[in-house]
Amino acid sequence: MKQPDKDLNVISASGIRKSFGGVEVLHGVDLYLAQGEVLALLGENGAGKSTLVKIIAGDYVPDEGTITCGGNEFSNLDPIKARELGVRMIFQELNDAPTLTVAENISLGSWGAKNGFVSWKKINERAESALALLGVDLDITKKVADLRIGERQIIEIARAVSENARVLIFDEPTAALSSAETERLFSVIENLRTKNVGMIYITHRLDEVARVADRVEVLRDGSVALMANAKTASRGELVSAMIGRDASDISHPIDRPTPGAKILNATGIGLDRAFSGIDFEVREGEVVALYGKVGSGTAEVAETIFGLHPEHSGSIELNGEVFEPKNPNSAIDNSIGFLPADRQRLGAFMVRPVAENLGVPSWPRYSKGGIITLDPEEKAYLSWTGKLKIKSRNDPKQKIATLSGGNQQKVLLARWFEGNSKLLVLIEPTRGVDVGARRDIYETLRKSAKEQNIGVLITTSDHEEVVQVADRAIVMAKGHTVAEFKGNNITVESLISAAS
Amino acid sequence: MTSDAQKTSDAMTKKKGRSIPELFALTVFLLLLIVFFSFASEYFFDIENAINIVTTLSVAGIIAVPGTMLLIAGQVDLSIGSAAAFGGTIVGVYAMKDSLGVGIAAAVVIGIIVGLVNGFLITKLQVNSLITTLGTLAILRGLCYIVGGGQTIMVGDFSFLGLDRPFLNLPTSVIIFIFIAIMGGLVMKYTTFGRSLYVIGANPAASRLVGVRNSRVLMICFVLSGLSTAVAGLILTSQLGAAAPMAATGLELSVITAIVLGGASLNGGRGTISGTILGLVIIGVLNNGLVLLNVDTFWQDVARGTLLIVAVTFDQIRERWSIKNK
Repeated sequence: MKQPDKDLNVISASGIRKSFGGVEVLHGVDLYLAQGEVLALLGENGAGKSTLVKIIAGDYVPDEGTITCGGNEFSNLDPIKARELGVRMIFQELNDAPTLTVAENISLGSWGAKNGFVSWKKINERAESALALLGVDLDITKKVADLRIGERQIIEIARAVSENARVLIFDEPTAALSSAETERLFSVIENLRTKNVGMIYITHRLDEVARVADRVEVLRDGSVALMANAKTASRGELVSAMIGRDASDISHPIDRPTPGAKILNATGIGLDRAFSGIDFEVREGEVVALYGKVGSGTAEVAETIFGLHPEHSGSIELNGEVFEPKNPNSAIDNSIGFLPADRQRLGAFMVRPVAENLGVPSWPRYSKGGIITLDPEEKAYLSWTGKLKIKSRNDPKQKIATLSGGNQQKVLLARWFEGNSKLLVLIEPTRGVDVGARRDIYETLRKSAKEQNIGVLITTSDHEEVVQVADRAIVMAKGHTVAEFKGNNITVESLISAAS
Repeated sequence: MTSDAQKTSDAMTKKKGRSIPELFALTVFLLLLIVFFSFASEYFFDIENAINIVTTLSVAGIIAVPGTMLLIAGQVDLSIGSAAAFGGTIVGVYAMKDSLGVGIAAAVVIGIIVGLVNGFLITKLQVNSLITTLGTLAILRGLCYIVGGGQTIMVGDFSFLGLDRPFLNLPTSVIIFIFIAIMGGLVMKYTTFGRSLYVIGANPAASRLVGVRNSRVLMICFVLSGLSTAVAGLILTSQLGAAAPMAATGLELSVITAIVLGGASLNGGRGTISGTILGLVIIGVLNNGLVLLNVDTFWQDVARGTLLIVAVTFDQIRERWSIKNK
């Protein structure tokens, strides 16, 4: 692809090299971004996306190469200079002040104070105009803590816009958003495009690329693997650029073992306003997906099975016997394993060793009269790193925080395999996980369902995931089941049309 | 956002666990203190003085063991000073009315009850442990004056805990302290109870989802803390031969300083009993050395407070450093 006129670029980076601890992670990478352009930046975890955008935002100084912005060339941008040039990052983790109002948050850090007195009029005007620019209608007097996550993200964008951002960097902005919120974010991006803001959009979701971006750049192992037109690049092209080998398009699992005895049977279960009248079963050797958009009630169904909503209605049977999940322990004691959606907040013990993260549910088995040694869990970890292809130092004492998201997720899954769970209840098991690790996880789930005769229940809002992993798919919308598909009848089209 | 690059670099340089250098730095600091005081005072480097130091720190030490467990689990018990004094008051009152034996039993029971009350408020009613135990700190101190009539109560024939030296010329209190410290260290390393504390401290919401019974574990921990204050109160009373309502004032400061100095994180999930012991010895040596150098007692308070702030600052720097280098 031909590089457009240099003067139209809001920012460009050329020949960027960067090493950490003697290991080069970027090997001379180029990136350019025109006014009003959206550039999708793809790559598996470890490909160097984060390092590259951090260099552009001035967080890291490159070892070689230059950043050109506003007609000046920089070889050592710092965060303050980058801000002055109008480069802003919208982080996955929100950096807002939840106890303050929308207006205060948009003006956060620049109150427009005169002689130490804050001008509320100015703050409100500023918030109104920033939101108007984005085409978003939000009550600026509301406390940010009361807002949804997507709205809070928009406030972050509004803050950047009110400070005249020229380049916005989004890091997986839709990872935690519902589909309605995602749509709104896309329309905000459209508005910013007409205001000539350049945007770098990091994502793991390939369907978003053509939807939102003009151009796409794929990094692999610290080098540019592909620069292409986002509207014409095929999914297969992107995937193979990311993983460096030919990848078939989303495909069904090859084998479909016949399901065995019923493990879980839920009849007419309901919970407040979250969901009602849900019937479903999970059999041995079977992977069942509860598919629905965020807010459709799928996650709450999973939480109910795991004992997080003891106030539910309806009846649940486990292995043919009445089962009353009144807390997580009652579920765990009945060999149910659980993966929450929020890995950082509810899943991992970040400051603790990987082996411990894996071992906790198995402690009762490892211990005798409350006495336990480190040995069994460290051995278990070493055996699971091989089986689940967990990329790590092979040191059981390594802190889990030092693993990439996908590998952390594998550890949290191995936790329940090691715990001999007969039923796995997994909420959004591959959220924020790169393509390679995603494949490994699907493979593992299918294999262990087949070989260990366990049942797997997944709740997800990712239709590709359902196609790739499920034997049966139950589609939910607004707290009700609306359709059920089996085997190769599960297709992206059937799922989307049923859910909407 | 986590950086992929930093991960790689970390994996390459193979940075090992950081607990060893931490304790190493503390050990060096302790040795420097010992060397300094040995030159500064002719009375310092002496076996009797060493026993003196250990005897003094045994009271704080006995409480610091369950205190470390609590901090590792992300909790704190500030009521310990008043609770110890209250245990002393109880033994004094009952020793006068009934017998020493009844007094000791009553103090132990009261210690357990204090732990149960703290634990109930914190685990069942979900009140923040800092605030809860700040409240019980004030309540128990008040009760010391009310129950004991504001007087120092003499307790006769009660030397075996604090003053008698039954073994290796060590006072009973030191032997109890060493026993509790070793038990504590083993519990933290080799029992599911101890290991649960690390997990709860690291992420209480996640620990519940993997089957750890958070409330039960923390309850046990607060009861152990209450029990330890009773033992400490008994030892103090035995050492002085009397129960004073203002006894053990500010003990929580020494205990928490030692724990934090020893590397337990205020954010939970990290810390060791051996680190706490090292922290205790440093504080003990510092206090003792300052006394031997005839430094005014008020300056000792200044030194202890400074040490606490330095310890917490180190904890924060360490935390930031480990986030940066993860």
